[in-house]
Amino acid sequence: MALLEASHLTKTYKDISVVNDVSFSLEHGKCVALLGPNGSGKTTTLRMLAGFIKPTDGNISFNEDRLSKDFRNYVGYLPQFPVFHNWMSGKEFLIYAGQLAHLSKTEAIKRADELLDLVNLKEVRKLRISKYSGGMKQRLGIAQALIHAPKLIILDEPASALDPIGRREVLNLMRELKKDATILFSTHILNDAEEVSDEILLLNEGKIIEQGSMHELESVQSTVTIKLSFTDEPKFIEDRLKEIESVFKVTRENNDYFLTVHDLQIARKQLLEVVHRENWQLTRFEVAKTSLEDLFMKAVKK
Amino acid sequence: MQWYVIFKKEILENWRNMKWIWVPIVFILFAVMDPITTYYLPKIMDAVGGIPEGAVVDIPMPNANEAILMSFNELGLLGVLITVVIAMGVISGEMKSGVYELILSKPVKYTNYVSAKFMSLALIVFLSIFLAVVAGWYYVSLLFGSIDFTKILTSILFFSLYFALIIGIVIMVNTWVQSPGVVAFLSLIIIIALNVLTSIYGHIFTWSPALIGDYIGEYLHSGVLSTEIWYSALMAVIFTFACIQFAILTLKNRALQ
Amino acid sequence: MLINQDLILLLLPVLILQLILLVIAIIDLIRIEKANGPKWVWALVIIFINIIGPIVYFIFGRRP
Repeated sequence: MALLEASHLTKTYKDISVVNDVSFSLEHGKCVALLGPNGSGKTTTLRMLAGFIKPTDGNISFNEDRLSKDFRNYVGYLPQFPVFHNWMSGKEFLIYAGQLAHLSKTEAIKRADELLDLVNLKEVRKLRISKYSGGMKQRLGIAQALIHAPKLIILDEPASALDPIGRREVLNLMRELKKDATILFSTHILNDAEEVSDEILLLNEGKIIEQGSMHELESVQSTVTIKLSFTDEPKFIEDRLKEIESVFKVTRENNDYFLTVHDLQIARKQLLEVVHRENWQLTRFEVAKTSLEDLFMKAVKK
Repeated sequence: MQWYVIFKKEILENWRNMKWIWVPIVFILFAVMDPITTYYLPKIMDAVGGIPEGAVVDIPMPNANEAILMSFNELGLLGVLITVVIAMGVISGEMKSGVYELILSKPVKYTNYVSAKFMSLALIVFLSIFLAVVAGWYYVSLLFGSIDFTKILTSILFFSLYFALIIGIVIMVNTWVQSPGVVAFLSLIIIIALNVLTSIYGHIFTWSPALIGDYIGEYLHSGVLSTEIWYSALMAVIFTFACIQFAILTLKNRALQ
Repeated sequence: MLINQDLILLLLPVLILQLILLVIAIIDLIRIEKANGPKWVWALVIIFINIIGPIVYFIFGRRP
């Protein structure tokens, strides 16, 4: 059973729809990436799920939600640019956040200590937050999102604004977290999505244009492109290539040919047979696997 | 419980940013300034001289009631100004900086958030008024003559209600705009408008909270609490409550956008 | 007889309060990370402008 189901979520600001009929469900224990270019409605979607803003249309249902209509009890949320009470220490802020989420003071202190350990801020726990670096603040932001042991962790661009080291720290932390929590995070960086997520929701102009597990998305789009180069221009080459059973598309760019095929093994065998039979002077045979990047670019351009 | 957590955080914040120290001191200085200078001004002028021989300098010495009323009036001006300034960023500042988003991502009730902030500010301001008026009373007693302390206490209570309304207004404006400076500006306009309208139509709006200061003057003089002061106090409480409610509703609606 | 002992005694509490105000403003100025403008200017304002200096510092000098 899904942890959360969002159906037909729509958010309109003065006739401009920022999020348009978005439906998806989040399974327990999955790490889901909400992937899309800037301005595609990622933050708005996350804010609706975090209970911050109310959808114009559609609804969100938590299957855990028996007690309270306030989603915020079940959701830990990290905004894109977390800002804290800078006059507090990291630990003080965590305790405060915990108590706001109805933990008792003792529970909040215990939880704060655990989380400071987890996000590796133990040494600086007594330091004022104003002295923290960007990466430390981001980790503190993750810790405060986790303080009330939420069912769902929502992270808005958790790694995008960080330098490579900070980004690595946050991604490692997410990998750690996904062992026992459900995570939904937004990003416009494909690598981040590829690296930690189990599932991807591809969002563009407020609509979900692709969704599925990494595996599914890859297999759906598992067309492989082969690039061929020759020393000379063989006769009837395009026709001959098109005759090959496993090739379903041939394009030409300058002197290179790009073949789109489904099954690389068969295509390679058939192709090399033709090359041999026709005695073409093949100088280059290159396989380019379709990455998430192509998928992304294709989907966005659609 | 949650209310108390927010309230305690506000108290701590105001301790770390020194508001608990500087606001009472400044209020006290405002309250004692006028009685002291009024008492010493003729003596200073005497000593400095420069007054032509034969000219009679006749500055009437106020009585004790009039002198303590100077303290109240000073607080009614400068004290209000300081109150507006210390309350101007209490919500708008958190929105502007963005910390609001983190706090409200937790299941925080808007009622708790707003009312805890109101109470923490009211506590500082009430304490400051109390200390200031008592200090003023001390100097008045020394320089001008004695006033019954219960009269002073009663006056402080009524005066505090006017300040509660000031805080209520500033908190309400806090939810409209995100710039503390603009909050202060708009709040002062509302407060000035309230006072100007009251002074023009005072004979109609005898219940206006802006008249509390005047009624305190009458009370100090006569020793009798008029019906009007009770109505003004009641109106101050009602308006304050309305401002807080309005602030809560504004934040709720903003969240739903 | 303008400056006599009575007057000094009378004004002593006021002077002490002013001094406390000045001292806490300076302490705060030292403690905060960054002031709203150069710190040394604020220090001058606090020390040389009586009463008003510290008040103005607390209102405008601390970074919001």
